[in-house]
Amino acid sequence: MFPPRRPPSFRLGIGPVGYQSKVRVIDRYKVIGFISSGTYGRVYKAVGRHGQTGEFAIKKFKPDKEGEQIQYTGISQSAVREMALCSELSHMNVIRLVEIILEDKCIFMVFEYAEHDLLQIIHHHTQPTRHPIPPGTVKSIMFQLLNGCQYLHANWVLHRDLKPANIMVTSGGEVKIGDLGLARLFNKPLHSLFSGDKVVVTIWYRAPELLLGSRHYTPAIDMWAVGCIFAELLSLRPIFKGEEAKMDSKKTVPFQRNQMQKIVEIMGLPRKDQWPHLVNMPEYNQLQTLSTSSHNKSGGSNLEKWYYSTINSHSATSVPSSNASLGSEGYKLLSGLLEYDPERRLTAQAALQHPFFSTGDKVSANCFEGMKMEYPHRRVSQDDNDIRTSSLPGTKRSGLPDDSRPVKRMKE
Amino acid sequence: MAANYWESTQRRHWQFSKSQLDELRKKLEDEDPNLVQMYPLPPLRHLSIYFNLQISRLGKRLGVRQQAMATAQLYIRRFYSKVEIRRTNPYLVIATAVYLACKMEECPHHIRLVVSEGRTLWPDFFSSDTSKLGECEFFLISEMSSQMIVHHPYRSLTSLQGTFSLAQEESALAWSIINDHYMTDLPLLYAPHIIALMAILLALVLRPNQTGVQSASNSAGSIASAAHAALSSASQSKAGASEKQGGGARSKVQKLANWLAESNIDIEAIVDCTQEIISFYELHEQYNEKLTREQINRFVKARGLDK
Repeated sequence: MFPPRRPPSFRLGIGPVGYQSKVRVIDRYKVIGFISSGTYGRVYKAVGRHGQTGEFAIKKFKPDKEGEQIQYTGISQSAVREMALCSELSHMNVIRLVEIILEDKCIFMVFEYAEHDLLQIIHHHTQPTRHPIPPGTVKSIMFQLLNGCQYLHANWVLHRDLKPANIMVTSGGEVKIGDLGLARLFNKPLHSLFSGDKVVVTIWYRAPELLLGSRHYTPAIDMWAVGCIFAELLSLRPIFKGEEAKMDSKKTVPFQRNQMQKIVEIMGLPRKDQWPHLVNMPEYNQLQTLSTSSHNKSGGSNLEKWYYSTINSHSATSVPSSNASLGSEGYKLLSGLLEYDPERRLTAQAALQHPFFSTGDKVSANCFEGMKMEYPHRRVSQDDNDIRTSSLPGTKRSGLPDDSRPVKRMKE
Repeated sequence: MAANYWESTQRRHWQFSKSQLDELRKKLEDEDPNLVQMYPLPPLRHLSIYFNLQISRLGKRLGVRQQAMATAQLYIRRFYSKVEIRRTNPYLVIATAVYLACKMEECPHHIRLVVSEGRTLWPDFFSSDTSKLGECEFFLISEMSSQMIVHHPYRSLTSLQGTFSLAQEESALAWSIINDHYMTDLPLLYAPHIIALMAILLALVLRPNQTGVQSASNSAGSIASAAHAALSSASQSKAGASEKQGGGARSKVQKLANWLAESNIDIEAIVDCTQEIISFYELHEQYNEKLTREQINRFVKARGLDK
């Protein structure tokens, strides 16, 4: 089924010959189109040439310098982490790595292909007019997403970049957590998790303790992001759509005032009695400079109001597909995930046990179950089918208009 | 997975039986018998002692913690179970393994720093071209199938310290036995918790005599018999013949034996481990650094692998 392994040809004979891969990407896979590009490199859609079942997404890491003669420069720590973690992980709600091919100074990670992602699904429900994602789908997505998180956290893996674009959904309705490019183990306390990479998680999904300068990362930062994703599945827009403050010339990390402000507008100002360690946060003093918004004079949380107006809002226009059936348990789950105090925030394990999933309709393992419509397939462009040449970086040619979203993330 | 040894790639892909390991190595030698004949090498354990020394020297210069060095040693052992050593430049492989292990263990160093320290340590055998190390990294990762997360016995040792009320010197001794086991095949043969238990047992058996491990190799026979006595008492009580015995100096050993008897742990494996490490300490006596270095340097130079 597979081509025979060539004998390793590193340094045969006299003198160094150089490393050569035993398998070649283009011998193993037929690239059928280009999916997307990002800071990390490019992703292609492919099928197997040797009867491998299914379709594949091949992530090609961008070499340091594109265009010029590529040199070996040492693999970035984040790529090493992603390669190691993806080789180790195995769970139905985490994207499956098929193999890694190291060839011609490039890294190719071959994953199972997923037809959809949550960003694309959310986007589809805003077209041509806003119509809610069916409650059964929301419930199934949330359960599967939490199930994947629970697995990661039980294995001491923090994802650190959960957002709709990174949550894949197969055409069979299985949710798969993808892009472990920022993930890392949290059982290695050599340096504080802060010191390695200073800013993580796309700002709209960033937990308040990170915004307030906490250097202590816990799985709770992923759970805040899951809460934001839940809210977005309901309202079809990011719940806390702040603007990122850029780093100044001294490369000090600024206080993300605007993002914190967006959170405070809905959640109210955090208080010591609900979050005992609040006063120890490095940016604690900044909180006093935030304005409690005009429509939130009491300073308390507006989340409940936000939730009910969101799940009922569509009902007037599209009666049958209202999310009202998600009811009060939906609110309780949401508020448990968007809990200010990271120590009191729901864990993935606890969230899976939440009555939200045991009341009402049974949770389906296929989030599309019972749906009559089908989501549009991932757009695949044909203008760059040559996985071996490195065309110019950073040109986003396909996929959704993702550009408006903050892509900023800083690594090492 | 990362937290679970039983589902880890280490257990699924990098744990062998002795005969499997022998077979792998024989296959490598058979690929090019001329090469093997032309460049004789000291026993593998002596090569491992030499490598360990080089890793420590590099690690010291870079300020690398023990655990990252242990990871590097395991990477090297895995790598040379798949690649004939005479086809590589061991100095480059050592530096690359340290460079990669540091990234995995969250204490990264810049490639240029690793290369410049390598140049300082092995000026005649190490290129200043960083791309050589970058290339070797591809080779190393590829041979390990990107399976870079490793489980060390240190964690088991830390969590069992309390269970067996180890004194500080006892834990320290067990810790150094674990450090030493990376110079043997044990990490490719047994689970980390088995290694940790072996190290605790040996530390407890050795401690009452106040002997260091190195000097203890003279009396390896007596240590082995003390360890075996403890283990056989464990397997006997496992078989049903439970009895209370001992006290005083032997009470911790007895406690360990009882604990093992009540557990599902493979006592036979601990016996094997104990024998392996003791025979390593014995062989350590015959280690000839000069000969080892010369034999390695000879094939590296003759085959132009340092270029």
